[in-house]
Amino acid sequence: MVNKSRLYWTLQIGGWTAFCAVQLIASVVASVGGAIAVTRVVFLVFEALFCFLLTHLYRNYINERKWLSMSLAKLIPHVFAAVVLMSVVIYLARIPVYYSLGLFVAENAFDPEKMITGVLFYALIFFIWSVLHFIYNYFERYNKSLKLEASVKEIELNNLKSQLNPHFIFNALNSIRALVDENPAKSKEAINQLSSILRNSLVTEKRGLTSFDEELKLVKDYLGLESIRFEERLRTEFNVDPESRDFLVPPLMIQTLVENGIKHGISKLTEGGLVQISTKVDGDHLKIHVRNSGKFVINGHHKKETGGLGLENTRQRLKLIYGDDASFRILSESDNFVLTEIIIPHLYT
Amino acid sequence: MKALIIDDERLARKELVKLLEEHPSIEIAGEAMNADEAEKMIEELNPELLFLDIQMPGRTGFQLLESLDSAPLVVFTTAYDEFALKAFEVNALDYLLKPITAERLTEAVHKILDKERSKSGRSRDKKLGLEDQVFVKDGERCWFVSLANIRLFESDGNYIKVYFDTNRPMIHKSLNALDEKLDERSFFRASRKHIINLSWVEGIEPWFNGGLMVKLKGGDKVEVSRRQAAKFKDMMSL
Repeated sequence: MVNKSRLYWTLQIGGWTAFCAVQLIASVVASVGGAIAVTRVVFLVFEALFCFLLTHLYRNYINERKWLSMSLAKLIPHVFAAVVLMSVVIYLARIPVYYSLGLFVAENAFDPEKMITGVLFYALIFFIWSVLHFIYNYFERYNKSLKLEASVKEIELNNLKSQLNPHFIFNALNSIRALVDENPAKSKEAINQLSSILRNSLVTEKRGLTSFDEELKLVKDYLGLESIRFEERLRTEFNVDPESRDFLVPPLMIQTLVENGIKHGISKLTEGGLVQISTKVDGDHLKIHVRNSGKFVINGHHKKETGGLGLENTRQRLKLIYGDDASFRILSESDNFVLTEIIIPHLYT
Repeated sequence: MKALIIDDERLARKELVKLLEEHPSIEIAGEAMNADEAEKMIEELNPELLFLDIQMPGRTGFQLLESLDSAPLVVFTTAYDEFALKAFEVNALDYLLKPITAERLTEAVHKILDKERSKSGRSRDKKLGLEDQVFVKDGERCWFVSLANIRLFESDGNYIKVYFDTNRPMIHKSLNALDEKLDERSFFRASRKHIINLSWVEGIEPWFNGGLMVKLKGGDKVEVSRRQAAKFKDMMSL
Protein backbone atom coordinates (compact mmCIF):
# COMPACT_ATOMS: atom_id res chain seq x y z
CA MET A 1 0.00 0.00 0.00
CA VAL A 2 2.89 2.35 0.75
CA ASN A 3 4.29 1.77 -2.70
CA LYS A 4 0.93 2.29 -4.27
CA SER A 5 0.39 5.63 -2.56
CA ARG A 6 3.90 6.79 -3.40
CA LEU A 7 3.33 5.82 -7.01
CA TYR A 8 0.12 7.84 -7.06
CA TRP A 9 1.78 10.99 -5.72
CA THR A 10 4.71 10.65 -8.10
CA LEU A 11 2.39 10.29 -11.07
CA GLN A 12 0.00 12.97 -9.89
CA ILE A 13 2.70 15.58 -9.23
CA GLY A 14 4.86 14.53 -12.15
CA GLY A 15 1.90 14.36 -14.52
CA TRP A 16 0.53 17.79 -13.77
CA THR A 17 4.01 19.32 -13.75
CA ALA A 18 4.53 17.85 -17.18
CA PHE A 19 1.13 19.17 -18.25
CA CYS A 20 2.17 22.62 -17.08
CA ALA A 21 5.53 22.35 -18.84
CA VAL A 22 3.93 21.26 -22.12
CA GLN A 23 1.47 24.16 -21.95
CA LEU A 24 4.36 26.56 -21.34
CA ILE A 25 6.35 25.21 -24.26
CA ALA A 26 3.27 25.36 -26.48
CA SER A 27 2.75 28.99 -25.45
CA VAL A 28 6.37 29.84 -26.18
CA VAL A 29 6.20 28.16 -29.56
CA ALA A 30 2.93 29.90 -30.40
CA SER A 31 4.07 33.31 -29.22
CA VAL A 32 5.63 35.91 -31.40
CA GLY A 33 9.42 35.86 -31.10
CA GLY A 34 9.46 33.28 -28.30
CA ALA A 35 8.65 35.66 -25.46
CA ILE A 36 5.65 35.23 -23.24
CA ALA A 37 4.19 37.37 -20.54
CA VAL A 38 4.78 36.59 -16.87
CA THR A 39 1.03 36.69 -16.30
CA ARG A 40 0.63 33.85 -18.81
CA VAL A 41 3.18 31.74 -16.85
CA VAL A 42 1.39 32.46 -13.57
CA PHE A 43 -1.90 31.52 -15.13
CA LEU A 44 -0.57 28.20 -16.44
CA VAL A 45 0.90 27.32 -13.04
CA PHE A 46 -2.46 28.10 -11.41
CA GLU A 47 -4.27 26.06 -14.01
CA ALA A 48 -2.07 23.00 -13.37
CA LEU A 49 -2.52 23.46 -9.62
CA PHE A 50 -6.31 23.55 -10.00
CA CYS A 51 -6.25 20.42 -12.11
CA PHE A 52 -4.01 18.72 -9.55
CA LEU A 53 -6.39 19.53 -6.68
CA LEU A 54 -9.50 18.67 -8.62
CA THR A 55 -8.26 15.26 -9.76
CA HIS A 56 -7.08 14.50 -6.25
CA LEU A 57 -10.56 15.22 -4.90
CA TYR A 58 -11.95 13.18 -7.78
CA ARG A 59 -9.73 10.25 -6.81
CA ASN A 60 -10.85 10.42 -3.18
CA TYR A 61 -14.43 10.47 -4.34
CA ILE A 62 -13.83 7.43 -6.58
CA ASN A 63 -12.30 5.50 -3.73
CA GLU A 64 -14.97 6.51 -1.26
CA ARG A 65 -17.82 5.57 -3.55
CA LYS A 66 -16.03 2.38 -4.64
CA TRP A 67 -16.33 3.13 -8.35
CA LEU A 68 -13.82 0.37 -9.01
CA SER A 69 -16.35 -2.26 -8.13
CA MET A 70 -18.97 -0.78 -10.47
CA SER A 71 -19.90 -2.59 -13.64
CA LEU A 72 -18.51 -0.98 -16.78
CA ALA A 73 -22.00 -0.05 -18.00
CA LYS A 74 -22.56 1.93 -14.83
CA LEU A 75 -19.05 3.28 -14.56
CA ILE A 76 -18.83 4.92 -18.01
CA PRO A 77 -21.73 7.41 -17.53
CA HIS A 78 -20.44 8.19 -14.04
CA VAL A 79 -17.00 8.97 -15.41
CA PHE A 80 -18.44 11.11 -18.20
CA ALA A 81 -20.53 13.09 -15.77
CA ALA A 82 -17.60 13.64 -13.45
CA VAL A 83 -15.29 14.64 -16.29
CA VAL A 84 -17.78 17.21 -17.65
CA LEU A 85 -18.51 18.57 -14.19
CA MET A 86 -14.82 19.01 -13.40
CA SER A 87 -14.22 20.71 -16.75
CA VAL A 88 -16.99 23.22 -16.15
CA VAL A 89 -15.71 23.83 -12.61
CA ILE A 90 -12.19 24.54 -13.82
CA TYR A 91 -13.43 26.66 -16.69
CA LEU A 92 -15.32 28.82 -14.21
CA ALA A 93 -12.52 28.76 -11.64
CA ARG A 94 -10.05 30.24 -14.09
CA ILE A 95 -12.20 33.34 -14.57
CA PRO A 96 -11.22 34.98 -11.24
CA VAL A 97 -7.59 34.10 -11.97
CA TYR A 98 -7.80 35.72 -15.38
CA TYR A 99 -9.52 38.64 -13.81
CA SER A 100 -6.97 39.25 -11.09
CA LEU A 101 -4.17 38.92 -13.61
CA GLY A 102 -5.87 41.50 -15.76
CA LEU A 103 -6.30 39.08 -18.64
CA PHE A 104 -10.05 38.83 -18.39
CA VAL A 105 -11.98 39.66 -21.55
CA ALA A 106 -15.72 39.18 -21.07
CA GLU A 107 -16.55 38.57 -24.78
CA ASN A 108 -13.94 35.82 -24.96
CA ALA A 109 -14.86 34.16 -21.65
CA PHE A 110 -18.57 33.89 -22.39
CA ASP A 111 -18.39 33.29 -26.13
CA PRO A 112 -20.27 29.94 -26.50
CA GLU A 113 -17.84 28.58 -29.06
CA LYS A 114 -14.80 29.40 -26.93
CA MET A 115 -16.54 28.07 -23.84
CA ILE A 116 -17.21 24.71 -25.52
CA THR A 117 -13.67 24.29 -26.84
CA GLY A 118 -12.29 25.32 -23.42
CA VAL A 119 -14.46 22.88 -21.52
CA LEU A 120 -13.79 20.13 -24.09
CA PHE A 121 -10.07 20.66 -23.75
CA TYR A 122 -10.24 20.10 -19.98
CA ALA A 123 -12.69 17.23 -20.47
CA LEU A 124 -10.18 15.50 -22.72
CA ILE A 125 -7.43 15.95 -20.15
CA PHE A 126 -9.60 14.63 -17.29
CA PHE A 127 -10.83 11.79 -19.44
CA ILE A 128 -7.26 10.70 -20.11
CA TRP A 129 -6.58 10.95 -16.39
CA SER A 130 -9.61 8.74 -15.64
CA VAL A 131 -8.68 6.16 -18.25
CA LEU A 132 -5.14 5.90 -16.87
CA HIS A 133 -6.44 5.70 -13.32
CA PHE A 134 -8.95 2.95 -14.01
CA ILE A 135 -6.68 0.95 -16.28
CA TYR A 136 -3.97 0.94 -13.64
CA ASN A 137 -6.33 -0.12 -10.89
CA TYR A 138 -8.05 -2.78 -12.91
CA PHE A 139 -4.74 -4.20 -13.94
CA GLU A 140 -3.49 -4.26 -10.41
CA ARG A 141 -6.59 -5.88 -9.10
CA TYR A 142 -6.42 -8.54 -11.82
CA ASN A 143 -2.80 -9.18 -10.91
CA LYS A 144 -3.68 -9.53 -7.28
CA SER A 145 -6.46 -12.00 -7.95
CA LEU A 146 -4.12 -14.00 -10.18
CA LYS A 147 -1.53 -14.10 -7.44
CA LEU A 148 -4.14 -15.10 -4.92
CA GLU A 149 -5.38 -17.86 -7.16
CA ALA A 150 -1.85 -19.09 -7.68
CA SER A 151 -1.10 -19.13 -3.97
CA VAL A 152 -4.35 -20.91 -3.16
CA LYS A 153 -3.47 -23.51 -5.76
CA GLU A 154 0.00 -23.90 -4.36
CA ILE A 155 -1.27 -24.37 -0.83
CA GLU A 156 -3.76 -26.95 -2.04
CA LEU A 157 -1.05 -28.78 -3.93
CA ASN A 158 1.25 -28.79 -0.93
CA ASN A 159 -1.46 -30.27 1.18
CA LEU A 160 -2.14 -32.94 -1.38
CA LYS A 161 1.45 -33.81 -2.06
CA SER A 162 2.09 -37.33 -1.00
CA GLN A 163 4.32 -37.70 1.93
CA LEU A 164 6.16 -40.80 2.88
CA ASN A 165 4.15 -42.90 5.23
CA PRO A 166 5.84 -43.03 8.65
CA HIS A 167 4.57 -46.57 9.11
CA PHE A 168 6.68 -47.58 6.15
CA ILE A 169 9.79 -45.77 7.36
CA PHE A 170 9.75 -47.32 10.82
CA ASN A 171 8.97 -50.79 9.54
CA ALA A 172 11.83 -50.48 7.08
CA LEU A 173 14.20 -49.39 9.85
CA ASN A 174 13.08 -52.32 11.95
CA SER A 175 13.72 -54.83 9.16
CA ILE A 176 17.10 -53.27 8.45
CA ARG A 177 18.03 -53.57 12.10
CA ALA A 178 17.37 -57.31 12.02
CA LEU A 179 19.13 -57.59 8.68
CA VAL A 180 22.36 -56.12 10.08
CA ASP A 181 23.13 -59.43 11.81
CA GLU A 182 21.78 -61.67 9.11
CA ASN A 183 23.08 -60.09 5.95
CA PRO A 184 25.32 -57.05 6.47
CA ALA A 185 25.80 -56.41 2.75
CA LYS A 186 22.07 -56.39 2.10
CA SER A 187 21.45 -54.16 5.09
CA LYS A 188 23.92 -51.61 3.71
CA GLU A 189 22.10 -51.62 0.41
CA ALA A 190 18.81 -51.18 2.25
CA ILE A 191 20.16 -48.15 4.08
CA ASN A 192 21.15 -46.65 0.74
CA GLN A 193 17.69 -47.27 -0.66
CA LEU A 194 16.03 -45.73 2.36
CA SER A 195 18.24 -42.65 2.34
CA SER A 196 17.65 -42.21 -1.38
CA ILE A 197 13.90 -42.31 -0.80
CA LEU A 198 14.10 -39.90 2.10
CA ARG A 199 16.28 -37.50 0.12
CA ASN A 200 13.93 -37.65 -2.83
CA SER A 201 10.89 -36.99 -0.72
CA LEU A 202 12.58 -33.97 0.84
CA VAL A 203 13.70 -32.53 -2.50
CA THR A 204 10.44 -33.16 -4.30
CA GLU A 205 8.51 -31.17 -1.74
CA LYS A 206 9.95 -28.14 -3.43
CA ARG A 207 9.33 -29.33 -6.96
CA GLY A 208 6.11 -29.51 -8.88
CA LEU A 209 7.04 -32.30 -11.24
CA THR A 210 9.81 -34.83 -11.52
CA SER A 211 11.17 -36.89 -14.40
CA PHE A 212 9.62 -40.29 -14.94
CA ASP A 213 13.00 -42.00 -14.54
CA GLU A 214 13.53 -40.47 -11.13
CA GLU A 215 10.10 -41.51 -9.97
CA LEU A 216 10.71 -45.02 -11.30
CA LYS A 217 13.97 -45.27 -9.40
CA LEU A 218 12.20 -44.16 -6.25
CA VAL A 219 9.51 -46.78 -6.77
CA LYS A 220 12.18 -49.45 -7.26
CA ASP A 221 13.96 -48.39 -4.07
CA TYR A 222 10.68 -48.41 -2.26
CA LEU A 223 9.81 -51.88 -3.48
CA GLY A 224 13.32 -53.05 -2.62
CA LEU A 225 12.75 -52.05 0.99
CA GLU A 226 9.28 -53.53 1.15
CA SER A 227 10.72 -56.79 -0.23
CA ILE A 228 13.03 -56.96 2.75
CA ARG A 229 10.05 -56.64 5.00
CA PHE A 230 7.67 -58.95 3.17
CA GLU A 231 10.33 -61.30 1.79
CA GLU A 232 8.84 -63.97 -0.49
CA ARG A 233 5.37 -62.59 0.11
CA LEU A 234 6.05 -59.67 -2.25
CA ARG A 235 6.80 -60.27 -5.92
CA THR A 236 7.34 -57.36 -8.30
CA GLU A 237 7.20 -56.95 -12.06
CA PHE A 238 8.10 -54.00 -14.28
CA ASN A 239 7.00 -53.48 -17.83
CA VAL A 240 8.07 -49.97 -18.79
CA ASP A 241 7.71 -48.34 -22.20
CA PRO A 242 11.13 -46.74 -22.96
CA GLU A 243 9.41 -43.61 -24.26
CA SER A 244 8.04 -42.97 -20.77
CA ARG A 245 11.27 -41.24 -19.85
CA ASP A 246 10.24 -38.18 -21.87
CA PHE A 247 7.44 -37.51 -19.44
CA LEU A 248 7.29 -35.52 -16.24
CA VAL A 249 5.19 -36.91 -13.42
CA PRO A 250 4.03 -35.52 -10.08
CA PRO A 251 6.62 -36.68 -7.54
CA LEU A 252 5.73 -39.64 -5.34
CA MET A 253 2.51 -40.22 -7.24
CA ILE A 254 3.36 -43.66 -8.63
CA GLN A 255 4.96 -44.50 -5.30
CA THR A 256 1.69 -43.62 -3.53
CA LEU A 257 -0.23 -45.97 -5.80
CA VAL A 258 2.27 -48.78 -5.27
CA GLU A 259 2.25 -48.22 -1.53
CA ASN A 260 -1.53 -48.25 -1.59
CA GLY A 261 -1.42 -51.59 -3.40
CA ILE A 262 0.90 -53.04 -0.80
CA LYS A 263 -0.97 -51.62 2.15
CA HIS A 264 -4.42 -52.74 1.05
CA GLY A 265 -3.42 -55.69 -1.11
CA ILE A 266 -0.24 -57.58 -0.31
CA SER A 267 -0.08 -56.88 3.42
CA LYS A 268 -3.62 -58.22 3.86
CA LEU A 269 -2.81 -61.50 2.13
CA THR A 270 -1.28 -64.27 4.20
CA GLU A 271 0.31 -65.73 1.08
CA GLY A 272 1.36 -62.33 -0.27
CA GLY A 273 1.09 -61.45 -3.95
CA LEU A 274 2.28 -59.53 -6.96
CA VAL A 275 2.77 -55.82 -7.66
CA GLN A 276 3.12 -55.00 -11.34
CA ILE A 277 3.97 -51.62 -12.81
CA SER A 278 3.53 -51.09 -16.53
CA THR A 279 3.55 -47.95 -18.64
CA LYS A 280 2.57 -47.21 -22.20
CA VAL A 281 3.06 -44.04 -24.22
CA ASP A 282 0.12 -43.33 -26.48
CA GLY A 283 0.77 -40.23 -28.57
CA ASP A 284 0.88 -37.31 -26.17
CA HIS A 285 -0.23 -39.29 -23.16
CA LEU A 286 1.45 -41.57 -20.69
CA LYS A 287 -0.61 -44.42 -19.31
CA ILE A 288 0.57 -45.86 -16.00
CA HIS A 289 -0.88 -49.11 -14.68
CA VAL A 290 -0.27 -50.38 -11.16
CA ARG A 291 -1.69 -53.84 -10.55
CA ASN A 292 -1.69 -55.60 -7.22
CA SER A 293 -3.05 -58.80 -5.78
CA GLY A 294 -5.97 -58.21 -3.49
CA LYS A 295 -9.59 -57.29 -3.46
CA PHE A 296 -10.92 -53.82 -4.13
CA VAL A 297 -13.30 -52.71 -1.43
CA ILE A 298 -15.46 -49.78 -2.43
CA ASN A 299 -16.12 -47.70 0.64
CA GLY A 300 -16.05 -50.69 2.91
CA HIS A 301 -17.09 -50.16 6.46
CA HIS A 302 -13.50 -49.41 7.42
CA LYS A 303 -13.44 -46.29 5.34
CA LYS A 304 -10.40 -44.87 7.05
CA GLU A 305 -8.44 -48.02 6.44
CA THR A 306 -9.26 -48.46 2.77
CA GLY A 307 -7.19 -45.40 2.02
CA GLY A 308 -9.95 -43.41 0.37
CA LEU A 309 -7.96 -40.35 1.39
CA GLY A 310 -4.76 -41.24 -0.45
CA LEU A 311 -6.63 -41.95 -3.66
CA GLU A 312 -8.79 -38.86 -3.34
CA ASN A 313 -5.62 -36.80 -2.90
CA THR A 314 -4.14 -38.30 -6.04
CA ARG A 315 -7.29 -37.49 -7.97
CA GLN A 316 -7.32 -33.86 -6.78
CA ARG A 317 -3.63 -33.44 -7.38
CA LEU A 318 -4.00 -34.57 -10.98
CA LYS A 319 -6.91 -32.18 -11.43
CA LEU A 320 -4.93 -29.24 -10.05
CA ILE A 321 -1.90 -29.93 -12.19
CA TYR A 322 -3.47 -31.04 -15.45
CA GLY A 323 -7.10 -29.90 -15.28
CA ASP A 324 -9.22 -32.31 -17.30
CA ASP A 325 -6.29 -33.61 -19.33
CA ALA A 326 -5.39 -36.34 -16.86
CA SER A 327 -7.48 -39.25 -15.70
CA PHE A 328 -7.42 -41.57 -12.75
CA ARG A 329 -9.32 -44.71 -11.93
CA ILE A 330 -9.14 -47.74 -9.72
CA LEU A 331 -11.03 -50.90 -10.41
CA SER A 332 -11.26 -54.57 -9.68
CA GLU A 333 -9.68 -56.21 -12.70
CA SER A 334 -10.49 -59.75 -11.69
CA ASP A 335 -11.42 -61.55 -8.51
CA ASN A 336 -7.97 -61.14 -7.08
CA PHE A 337 -6.38 -58.24 -8.92
CA VAL A 338 -6.83 -54.52 -8.44
CA LEU A 339 -5.83 -52.13 -11.21
CA THR A 340 -5.01 -48.49 -10.66
CA GLU A 341 -4.60 -46.42 -13.80
CA ILE A 342 -3.45 -42.87 -14.34
CA ILE A 343 -3.14 -41.18 -17.69
CA ILE A 344 -1.22 -37.92 -17.83
CA PRO A 345 -0.51 -35.59 -20.76
CA HIS A 346 2.93 -34.54 -21.92
CA LEU A 347 3.85 -31.17 -20.48
CA TYR A 348 6.23 -29.26 -22.72
CA THR A 349 8.54 -27.19 -20.64
CA MET B 1 7.27 -66.78 31.98
CA LYS B 2 6.00 -68.25 28.75
CA ALA B 3 5.68 -65.80 25.89
CA LEU B 4 4.45 -65.97 22.32
CA ILE B 5 5.67 -63.63 19.56
CA ILE B 6 3.07 -62.80 16.94
CA ASP B 7 4.22 -60.84 13.88
CA ASP B 8 3.83 -61.45 10.17
CA GLU B 9 7.38 -60.32 9.37
CA ARG B 10 10.15 -62.86 9.87
CA LEU B 11 12.79 -60.20 10.43
CA ALA B 12 10.69 -58.41 13.00
CA ARG B 13 10.22 -61.67 14.94
CA LYS B 14 13.91 -62.46 14.65
CA GLU B 15 14.87 -59.05 15.98
CA LEU B 16 12.57 -59.37 18.97
CA VAL B 17 13.85 -62.88 19.76
CA LYS B 18 17.37 -61.50 19.71
CA LEU B 19 16.46 -58.61 21.99
CA LEU B 20 14.73 -60.98 24.40
CA GLU B 21 17.90 -63.07 24.77
CA GLU B 22 18.86 -60.51 27.42
CA HIS B 23 15.79 -61.40 29.44
CA PRO B 24 15.99 -65.01 30.59
CA SER B 25 12.85 -64.60 32.68
CA ILE B 26 10.92 -64.50 29.40
CA GLU B 27 10.81 -67.87 27.73
CA ILE B 28 9.77 -67.75 24.10
CA ALA B 29 7.39 -70.64 23.68
CA GLY B 30 6.65 -69.99 20.04
CA GLU B 31 6.33 -67.62 17.11
CA ALA B 32 3.22 -67.11 15.04
CA MET B 33 2.88 -65.43 11.64
CA ASN B 34 -0.75 -64.49 11.83
CA ALA B 35 -3.79 -64.45 14.08
CA ASP B 36 -5.06 -67.89 13.06
CA GLU B 37 -1.73 -69.51 13.78
CA ALA B 38 -1.48 -67.56 17.04
CA GLU B 39 -4.91 -68.65 18.19
CA LYS B 40 -3.97 -72.32 17.82
CA MET B 41 -0.67 -71.80 19.61
CA ILE B 42 -2.33 -69.93 22.47
CA GLU B 43 -4.73 -72.84 22.89
CA GLU B 44 -1.84 -75.33 22.86
CA LEU B 45 0.89 -73.53 24.75
CA ASN B 46 -1.20 -71.41 27.08
CA PRO B 47 1.34 -68.52 27.15
CA GLU B 48 1.16 -65.92 29.88
CA LEU B 49 2.46 -63.14 27.67
CA LEU B 50 1.97 -62.07 24.04
CA PHE B 51 4.19 -59.78 21.99
CA LEU B 52 1.59 -58.80 19.45
CA ASP B 53 1.81 -56.91 16.17
CA ILE B 54 -1.37 -55.07 15.25
CA GLN B 55 -1.34 -54.95 11.45
CA MET B 56 -1.23 -58.48 10.09
CA PRO B 57 -2.73 -60.20 7.07
CA GLY B 58 -6.07 -61.76 7.90
CA ARG B 59 -7.17 -60.70 11.34
CA THR B 60 -5.47 -57.82 13.16
CA GLY B 61 -3.92 -58.14 16.60
CA PHE B 62 -6.99 -56.48 18.11
CA GLN B 63 -9.32 -58.95 16.42
CA LEU B 64 -7.24 -61.84 17.73
CA LEU B 65 -7.56 -60.55 21.29
CA GLU B 66 -11.28 -60.05 20.92
CA SER B 67 -11.69 -63.68 19.96
CA LEU B 68 -9.88 -64.93 23.06
CA ASP B 69 -11.96 -65.78 26.12
CA SER B 70 -9.40 -64.32 28.44
CA ALA B 71 -6.50 -62.18 27.44
CA PRO B 72 -2.99 -63.03 28.61
CA LEU B 73 -0.67 -60.13 29.36
CA VAL B 74 -0.05 -58.30 26.11
CA VAL B 75 2.68 -56.01 24.84
CA PHE B 76 1.76 -54.52 21.49
CA THR B 77 4.51 -54.02 18.95
CA THR B 78 3.88 -51.62 16.12
CA ALA B 79 5.86 -49.41 13.77
CA TYR B 80 3.59 -46.43 13.56
CA ASP B 81 -0.12 -46.58 13.54
CA GLU B 82 -1.98 -43.43 14.40
CA PHE B 83 -5.21 -45.16 15.31
CA ALA B 84 -3.57 -47.80 17.44
CA LEU B 85 -1.37 -45.24 19.18
CA LYS B 86 -4.44 -43.23 20.04
CA ALA B 87 -6.09 -46.28 21.55
CA PHE B 88 -2.95 -46.95 23.60
CA GLU B 89 -2.61 -43.42 24.85
CA VAL B 90 -6.20 -43.29 26.00
CA ASN B 91 -6.04 -46.56 27.85
CA ALA B 92 -2.39 -46.81 28.79
CA LEU B 93 -1.89 -50.29 27.37
CA ASP B 94 1.73 -51.27 27.06
CA TYR B 95 3.28 -51.03 23.65
CA LEU B 96 6.68 -51.06 21.99
CA LEU B 97 7.45 -48.99 18.94
CA LYS B 98 9.53 -50.61 16.20
CA PRO B 99 12.46 -50.49 15.90
CA ILE B 100 12.43 -51.60 19.51
CA THR B 101 15.22 -50.32 21.72
CA ALA B 102 16.79 -52.53 24.37
CA GLU B 103 16.05 -49.98 27.13
CA ARG B 104 12.39 -49.71 26.28
CA LEU B 105 12.07 -53.49 26.14
CA THR B 106 13.70 -53.85 29.56
CA GLU B 107 11.20 -51.36 30.94
CA ALA B 108 8.28 -53.27 29.46
CA VAL B 109 9.59 -56.61 30.75
CA HIS B 110 9.92 -55.20 34.27
CA LYS B 111 6.40 -53.87 34.16
CA ILE B 112 5.13 -57.25 33.06
CA LEU B 113 6.99 -59.16 35.73
CA ASP B 114 5.57 -56.81 38.37
CA LYS B 115 2.09 -57.37 37.06
CA GLU B 116 2.58 -61.12 37.00
CA ARG B 117 3.82 -61.16 40.59
CA SER B 118 0.79 -59.25 41.81
CA LYS B 119 -1.39 -61.80 40.10
CA SER B 120 0.23 -64.83 41.69
CA GLY B 121 -3.14 -66.01 42.97
CA ARG B 122 -4.38 -66.42 39.44
CA SER B 123 -6.24 -69.68 39.07
CA ARG B 124 -4.70 -72.20 36.77
CA ASP B 125 -7.92 -73.95 35.82
CA LYS B 126 -9.72 -73.05 32.64
CA LYS B 127 -12.53 -71.09 34.31
CA LEU B 128 -12.23 -67.31 34.34
CA GLY B 129 -11.96 -65.87 37.81
CA LEU B 130 -11.72 -62.36 39.20
CA GLU B 131 -7.95 -62.32 38.61
CA ASP B 132 -8.28 -62.82 34.86
CA GLN B 133 -8.53 -60.04 32.34
CA VAL B 134 -10.45 -59.71 29.12
CA PHE B 135 -9.77 -57.53 26.11
CA VAL B 136 -12.62 -55.28 25.05
CA LYS B 137 -12.68 -52.99 22.05
CA ASP B 138 -15.32 -50.45 21.24
CA GLY B 139 -14.63 -48.47 18.08
CA GLU B 140 -11.29 -46.81 18.56
CA ARG B 141 -11.12 -47.39 22.30
CA CYS B 142 -9.86 -50.58 23.82
CA TRP B 143 -9.33 -51.89 27.31
CA PHE B 144 -7.87 -54.76 29.24
CA VAL B 145 -10.40 -55.16 32.00
CA SER B 146 -9.88 -57.25 35.06
CA LEU B 147 -12.97 -59.38 35.61
CA ALA B 148 -13.00 -58.11 39.21
CA ASN B 149 -13.99 -54.70 37.85
CA ILE B 150 -16.84 -55.93 35.70
CA ARG B 151 -20.08 -55.78 37.67
CA LEU B 152 -22.51 -56.89 35.02
CA PHE B 153 -22.81 -58.62 31.66
CA GLU B 154 -26.00 -57.90 29.79
CA SER B 155 -27.00 -59.69 26.61
CA ASP B 156 -28.13 -57.47 23.76
CA GLY B 157 -28.90 -59.35 20.57
CA ASN B 158 -25.74 -61.09 19.40
CA TYR B 159 -23.67 -58.92 21.67
CA ILE B 160 -22.91 -58.60 25.34
CA LYS B 161 -22.78 -55.24 27.03
CA VAL B 162 -19.92 -55.17 29.52
CA TYR B 163 -20.46 -52.86 32.51
CA PHE B 164 -17.32 -51.51 34.19
CA ASP B 165 -16.47 -48.07 35.55
CA THR B 166 -18.55 -45.73 33.42
CA ASN B 167 -18.06 -47.76 30.24
CA ARG B 168 -20.41 -50.16 28.55
CA PRO B 169 -18.65 -51.47 25.46
CA MET B 170 -20.07 -54.42 23.54
CA ILE B 171 -18.39 -57.71 22.80
CA HIS B 172 -19.52 -60.09 20.10
CA LYS B 173 -20.32 -63.23 22.10
CA SER B 174 -23.31 -65.08 23.41
CA LEU B 175 -24.17 -64.89 27.08
CA ASN B 176 -24.51 -68.69 27.28
CA ALA B 177 -20.98 -69.24 25.94
CA LEU B 178 -19.62 -66.67 28.36
CA ASP B 179 -21.52 -68.19 31.28
CA GLU B 180 -19.81 -71.54 30.69
CA LYS B 181 -16.39 -69.91 30.84
CA LEU B 182 -16.91 -67.87 33.98
CA ASP B 183 -16.09 -69.19 37.43
CA GLU B 184 -19.46 -69.82 39.12
CA ARG B 185 -18.05 -68.88 42.52
CA SER B 186 -17.62 -65.29 41.35
CA PHE B 187 -20.28 -64.84 38.67
CA PHE B 188 -23.93 -65.69 38.74
CA ARG B 189 -26.41 -66.09 35.89
CA ALA B 190 -29.23 -63.95 37.23
CA SER B 191 -31.55 -64.39 34.27
CA ARG B 192 -31.66 -65.07 30.55
CA LYS B 193 -30.30 -61.56 30.02
CA HIS B 194 -27.84 -60.99 32.87
CA ILE B 195 -24.71 -62.30 34.56
CA ILE B 196 -23.69 -60.45 37.70
CA ASN B 197 -20.43 -60.26 39.60
CA LEU B 198 -21.22 -61.51 43.12
CA SER B 199 -18.58 -59.32 44.74
CA TRP B 200 -20.49 -56.26 43.51
CA VAL B 201 -23.80 -57.21 45.14
CA GLU B 202 -24.90 -54.59 47.66
CA GLY B 203 -28.51 -55.46 48.47
CA ILE B 204 -31.23 -57.99 47.71
CA GLU B 205 -35.00 -57.40 47.79
CA PRO B 206 -37.86 -59.77 47.17
CA TRP B 207 -39.57 -59.12 43.85
CA PHE B 208 -42.70 -60.24 42.02
CA ASN B 209 -43.45 -63.90 41.28
CA GLY B 210 -40.86 -65.16 43.73
CA GLY B 211 -38.00 -63.42 41.96
CA LEU B 212 -35.41 -61.15 43.51
CA MET B 213 -34.13 -57.65 42.76
CA VAL B 214 -30.38 -57.37 43.23
CA LYS B 215 -28.83 -53.99 43.75
CA LEU B 216 -25.21 -53.63 42.67
CA LYS B 217 -22.67 -51.18 43.99
CA GLY B 218 -22.86 -48.17 41.71
CA GLY B 219 -26.65 -48.32 41.49
CA ASP B 220 -27.44 -50.83 38.73
CA LYS B 221 -30.43 -53.05 39.54
CA VAL B 222 -30.81 -56.54 38.11
CA GLU B 223 -33.77 -58.83 38.37
CA VAL B 224 -33.09 -62.46 39.31
CA SER B 225 -35.63 -64.77 37.70
CA ARG B 226 -37.74 -67.04 39.86
CA ARG B 227 -35.94 -70.11 38.55
CA GLN B 228 -32.55 -68.75 39.60
CA ALA B 229 -33.68 -67.11 42.85
CA ALA B 230 -33.49 -70.27 44.98
CA LYS B 231 -30.02 -71.02 43.69
CA PHE B 232 -28.99 -67.45 44.35
CA LYS B 233 -30.25 -67.54 47.95
CA ASP B 234 -28.32 -70.77 48.50
CA MET B 235 -25.13 -69.23 47.27
CA MET B 236 -25.40 -66.02 49.19
CA SER B 237 -26.42 -67.65 52.49
CA LEU B 238 -23.47 -70.05 52.44
